[in-house]
Amino acid sequence: MSHASVIVPSLDEPLVKGNHTYASVTDTVCKITERTQTPRAWYIAFAVSVSLTAMLFGLIGYLIATGVGVWGNNSPVFWAWPITNFVFWVGIGHAGTLISAILFLFRQNWRTSINRFAEAMTIFAVACAGIFPAIHVGRIWFVYWLAPYPSQHLAMWPNFRSPLLWDVFAVSTYATVSLLFWYMGMIPDLATLRDRATSKVKQFAYGVASLGWTGSARQWNRYEKAYMLLAALATPLVLSVHTIVSFDFAVSQVPGWHTTIFPPYFVAGAVFSGFAMVVTLMVPARAWFGLKDFVTERHLENMTKIILATGSMVGFAYATEFFIAWYSGNGYEQFAFVNRAFGPYAWAYWTMVSCNVIAPQMFWFKKARTTPWIMVIICIFVNIGMWFERFVITVTSLSRDFLPSSWGYFTPTPIDILMFIGSFGLFFTLFLLFCRYLPMIAISEVKGVMPPPPEGDVSRSAVTDGPAPSAEPSPVGNPGPNPFLAGGGATI
Amino acid sequence: MKQNNGKTYWRSLGELQETPEFQEFLHREFPVAASEFPEGMSRRRWMELMGASLGLGGLAGCRWEAQKIAPFAIRPENRIPGKPEQFATSVELGGMPRHLLMTCYDGRPIKVEGNPDHPDSKGATDAFAQACILGLYDPDRSDTARELQGRDSFLRTWDEFDKYVEKRLQSLANVGGKGLAILVEPRSSCSRNAMLTQIRKRFPQVQLYSHATLSAPDEDITRSVFGSGFRVSLHLAAAKRIACFDADLLGIHPTAPRNAAGFASSREPSAGMSRLYAVESQFSVTGASADHRLPRKSVEIPALVARLEALVSDRLGQPPRTSAVATGDEEAEEFLLALAEDLVAHPGESLVVVGATQPAATRELALVLNERLGAIGTTLNLYAAPEMVETKSLAALVDAAEQGDIDTLFLFGGNPVYDAPGDLEVAAALVGIPHTIRCGVYEDETSAVCRWHVPLAHAFEGWDDVRSWEGNYCVAQPLIDPLLNGRSELEVLARMVGDSREMQQIVRDSIAASLGTELPQAAWQKLVHDGLLTSYEPAAVTPKVLEGYAYVAPELSAEVEVVFTPSSSTLDGCFANNGWLQETPDFLTKLTWDNAALVSPATAVDLNLEHGKFVKIAIADRHVEVPVYVMPGQARGSVGLALGYGRTKAGKVGGDFEQSVETVGFDVNPIRPSGTLIPRVATSVTITPLDREYKFATTQDHHAIDKVGMEEIARRVDDLVREGPLDVYLEHPDFVHHHSHHPEAVPLWEEPSYDGNAWGMAIDLNKCVGCNACTVACQAENNVPIVGKEQVAVGREMHWIRIDRYFTGDFENPEVTHQPVACHHCETAPCEQVCPVAATVHSNEGLNDMIYNRCIGTRYCGNNCPYKVRRFNFFNYNKDLEDGSRQLAQLVVNPEVTVRSRGVMEKCTYCVQRIQTVKIDAKTGRRAIADGEIKTACQQACPSNAIEFGDLNDAESKVAKLHKDNRAYGMLSELNVKPRTRYLARIRNPNRALVALDARYEGGHGGGANHGDEHHDHEGKPEAHDSEAGASHAAGEHA
Repeated sequence: MSHASVIVPSLDEPLVKGNHTYASVTDTVCKITERTQTPRAWYIAFAVSVSLTAMLFGLIGYLIATGVGVWGNNSPVFWAWPITNFVFWVGIGHAGTLISAILFLFRQNWRTSINRFAEAMTIFAVACAGIFPAIHVGRIWFVYWLAPYPSQHLAMWPNFRSPLLWDVFAVSTYATVSLLFWYMGMIPDLATLRDRATSKVKQFAYGVASLGWTGSARQWNRYEKAYMLLAALATPLVLSVHTIVSFDFAVSQVPGWHTTIFPPYFVAGAVFSGFAMVVTLMVPARAWFGLKDFVTERHLENMTKIILATGSMVGFAYATEFFIAWYSGNGYEQFAFVNRAFGPYAWAYWTMVSCNVIAPQMFWFKKARTTPWIMVIICIFVNIGMWFERFVITVTSLSRDFLPSSWGYFTPTPIDILMFIGSFGLFFTLFLLFCRYLPMIAISEVKGVMPPPPEGDVSRSAVTDGPAPSAEPSPVGNPGPNPFLAGGGATI
Repeated sequence: MKQNNGKTYWRSLGELQETPEFQEFLHREFPVAASEFPEGMSRRRWMELMGASLGLGGLAGCRWEAQKIAPFAIRPENRIPGKPEQFATSVELGGMPRHLLMTCYDGRPIKVEGNPDHPDSKGATDAFAQACILGLYDPDRSDTARELQGRDSFLRTWDEFDKYVEKRLQSLANVGGKGLAILVEPRSSCSRNAMLTQIRKRFPQVQLYSHATLSAPDEDITRSVFGSGFRVSLHLAAAKRIACFDADLLGIHPTAPRNAAGFASSREPSAGMSRLYAVESQFSVTGASADHRLPRKSVEIPALVARLEALVSDRLGQPPRTSAVATGDEEAEEFLLALAEDLVAHPGESLVVVGATQPAATRELALVLNERLGAIGTTLNLYAAPEMVETKSLAALVDAAEQGDIDTLFLFGGNPVYDAPGDLEVAAALVGIPHTIRCGVYEDETSAVCRWHVPLAHAFEGWDDVRSWEGNYCVAQPLIDPLLNGRSELEVLARMVGDSREMQQIVRDSIAASLGTELPQAAWQKLVHDGLLTSYEPAAVTPKVLEGYAYVAPELSAEVEVVFTPSSSTLDGCFANNGWLQETPDFLTKLTWDNAALVSPATAVDLNLEHGKFVKIAIADRHVEVPVYVMPGQARGSVGLALGYGRTKAGKVGGDFEQSVETVGFDVNPIRPSGTLIPRVATSVTITPLDREYKFATTQDHHAIDKVGMEEIARRVDDLVREGPLDVYLEHPDFVHHHSHHPEAVPLWEEPSYDGNAWGMAIDLNKCVGCNACTVACQAENNVPIVGKEQVAVGREMHWIRIDRYFTGDFENPEVTHQPVACHHCETAPCEQVCPVAATVHSNEGLNDMIYNRCIGTRYCGNNCPYKVRRFNFFNYNKDLEDGSRQLAQLVVNPEVTVRSRGVMEKCTYCVQRIQTVKIDAKTGRRAIADGEIKTACQQACPSNAIEFGDLNDAESKVAKLHKDNRAYGMLSELNVKPRTRYLARIRNPNRALVALDARYEGGHGGGANHGDEHHDHEGKPEAHDSEAGASHAAGEHA
């Protein structure tokens, strides 16, 4: 396959800007991790994040020691912020796999610059998400009873009818596959870092992490196949995980939860929030780490278009919910929605609508799609809106269900608020570590979407520090990683 | 009680070494309350004390004599370890006799039931009696005698007390008892009366006083009408027309359980249903059950009663006793006209009751009116009041104290320093008396101003007797040795006169003396066993109204009145330290752990008051600041203040300043005036709104409901709590099933069938009066924890059965509907499907079982429960039981029921432990379980028999028949959850002269006329059990 065909002809703007060679790509990305002097800003950010993480774990300890009553949950609002946070973070974790898997299968090669970043974000978001349901149960020390393990003293299985159990499988599968996918995609780049490493510690660490990657044709062959398979495996997961998360609500009979629209609506919402989070993080990151050549305006614009599309879907879903509530003739359902919009939680509902439906409409304007700071502002609104969406669904529905005698109102406690903030701390801690120690851009994949070097121009070859790599083209002919581009592992 | 035995030992050592130094040492080393423990103690001092403790501990261990634990080598009679025993007893709560059957496990009473053999109980109780058992094990009860000398307090022993008393009495006896005074609570006990008589004999000049906030003896009013003291006993079962004026017959009343049973039995819609009218200033349990209710200020009620008398006399063609003409109040006049017609139309079957808050003249007039209506001897019986030594009022005591006439005052029970009207200044009067001796179960506000305090035994710890309301003899027997070293009131009195008989003997002799016959051993044993003298039938009398009786209209008026009401939780404050009752929501306001100034919406506007904001209420030169609760149905211009709150020395639950425990609610006694014409009502009041906010803890409408919510509630209530007027019911007995229309629901999967027993419940909303007895009974039976005000405020109360209350209609005079809600044990339980660990599953008898030790607390079941009956242990709510210093509280725990840990879900089990007990018994006896043999705790306590429980597979069982009743419906059955609990619709019996037929019922039954006939079958004949056939039945229910 010729390299020229990798660039989609209809898009005139190149995916990598600047006068980059393969070597300069490797250099630019690797330099970020190889700097001996860690920037002061990183330290400050890291200190803040780690403190918040410590606060999160401290609060978890307090929670375990005291009881879930430290949150504001009550009867009837048995689920509140922790579940809201869980769904929020799972949603954020959607963009990564979508970019890695679905866009990969659809040959959207603009994904190469952002997929590593998005995947990392997915992993960290899922880590944050996973914490909440685990600590949410009343007796945390027995949370493993959710797993279907053959137990002698209980001699029973969990209840396979419960959506909560499906959720356990869905989220854990998703987390596992996402992690594998991310890690596997990183192996060639880790090998590059290993080869460039100057200190023993780094050599050892990256050496272990890169699993003995040499960049041989056979390895590339296996790698491409595995990547393809994982992509195929991850694709249904993108849809399944949030579908099943939505089942937690849809399978119950709480008015406002019990609706068939939830699976598609949740998936759209998750993609929406995931991309918003990628943009929110990517725009500052590409400026600070000098990655504007790789993450270009074109990338950002593509993402804003997806946000616009999914945001409109979400808005459509909101409208559909109201229509169906009215059309169903079910009084409880009708009230659930009237109550959302005009009841005691109207403020949350209208925050949600403003942020999720109105804010992304700005992306109809080219100016908004191409101006990074406008994008970031809109995307932050989207993130706020999507958190509120989960809050509105979870809390307003529960607070007023069937019997008016049992209606309630949920007020968060400081612990609720601090734990949510703490989860951001955890997210950013992991993220800062990633930025500092791992290749933020998929080096090998980006090289695959660059024009090939002129014949014989050795200086523009990607391989400067090792024997010439195999020129064997990608066996599956996909726009994925190019065998030219791996670190020269042959020296080992 | 190992701990207490230990304490006894220490004290007995003190007896051995009665040196002042040792006394001092003893006092310092073993203070009663933990907070008295010396602070800032040096290490050296600590070591000294610990060393001394160790040494003295060894000494104590050397004693042989006091061994009280008997080995079970010889088993006590009838005692099988682990098998509960039941004993009959009686108590008197604020002048209200309650006849009980106590369940004891291994000698430890744990549950109060009503005495089924007693006509006043028939197995039922009220919430107060249910909660008494918690008081027995209250660690805050007083356990030591103490003496105040100046500002120092010294711990004393009973021996020291006896010596002191002997010395005092000796010197008083020398002057014929001059200067000796005794203050008691009004009780009907013969034995106490005998002791007081003996005291009077020994000390001829002794002054006897009695005081209780809520007592309003019938004797006083009957004396002026009939010339002799009688007790008025109501026979509501026979009454077809009942008119109540400020009278709470079904709530707080001496015979409330029996009244509720009688009233409920008269509400059978198919058999000449009774009609209840209520005129009252405060919403009472009775008013909430009334068919017609007229909210009017308490001060206006005397005029209304007088007018009614005139109207009734006019219709009967007799000369009226009053000259009352129509007041300008047209609504009231119309009400009274209809009422008078109705009463006259039912001679011998009508009844007029005027409550204890009304002036004596008005209550007397009601008796006369009843005589006119032929009620005496039919719906109202008079019985000779028990003869008691004469006592004077608390006001007289204060007077005497101020005169310096009292040298030594014994105070038994009560708590006058707290609960007397503020203007009496009781505390100041008591301080002026040289020797004040307080015998109290708690060391409370009154003890604090008395020189001596000695611990009184709990009513369940000693012998006594109680006269039933009609005068039968009932014995109170000890169910356990005094836990905290207390003596019974009887014992203290007996010692004062040197009566050395056993307490049992005193009670026996006193009853025999009162009866005027011998009580042979067999008869005595039977009396103790039965709890009442079954051979004795109090004779009703039918006296004539005195010739000279004349009605003198009380002169009353008030722009704004304040009515002091008994609290449905603390009564007059005596239950302030009872967590069960404090957490029991008021039957109407649903307030827990609080009282408030109740005003109607119109009064709030008139006086510029806001719900949840404070108001300053001033009477004369005293004032209190209380938060406002806007309560629909209050009389306009009437402010209701519940007594019994704001205790400053009640204990760790009810408030204790010394231990920095905040008070619960607000003490309104300071502004209560004494000696008013109309008791417990203040007429000249100044109301000033304040701008301070207050947070209530309610179990319903935890937060203010907005307009959207209000409209929705109005739309839903009709379907959830079904009711209709009697005439519509008689014409369309199945009207209930045309209330709502829902599409048919199809079950998702095959449903299980139940071949053996299928337990089910039926709750008759027509009988429920909303008295809360079920809630407290359930709490006692099922070890339901107390969570406290903060937790209730955020919506985490734990009651397994709650009573939902809905208002309908007019804001100023709404109709109230109660609906007890516990787990419905749905056939297709939504909670079961969503539990990921299968911690809640169906039993083979159709119970929705909760497996606590499998539950991990995802709370998903709680979300999915449409009835919201699942309760979650957000914290360890039983921490109090683990507290080493409060171990006594553990004893109340029912050993048959698991105490739930933190992090698990819990809910009503249909009292599965009771089902199992009966099942095991039936199995060992090789017999079938009889219908009605299994009684759930709520059912057993319910005074109005609104709850029925049994086997739905047994077509002859009561519950199965009720499920087939044409009034039966399943709440939210459109969800296809197939609840095992069904409700029977409430039927009201309106007087068509007062209210026209609701338009929606005209020309049919709520749109039901449009229905095809096929629908009528479904609900009309529900299957006995909702198993196979039940599926189709519930599905078709709302087709």
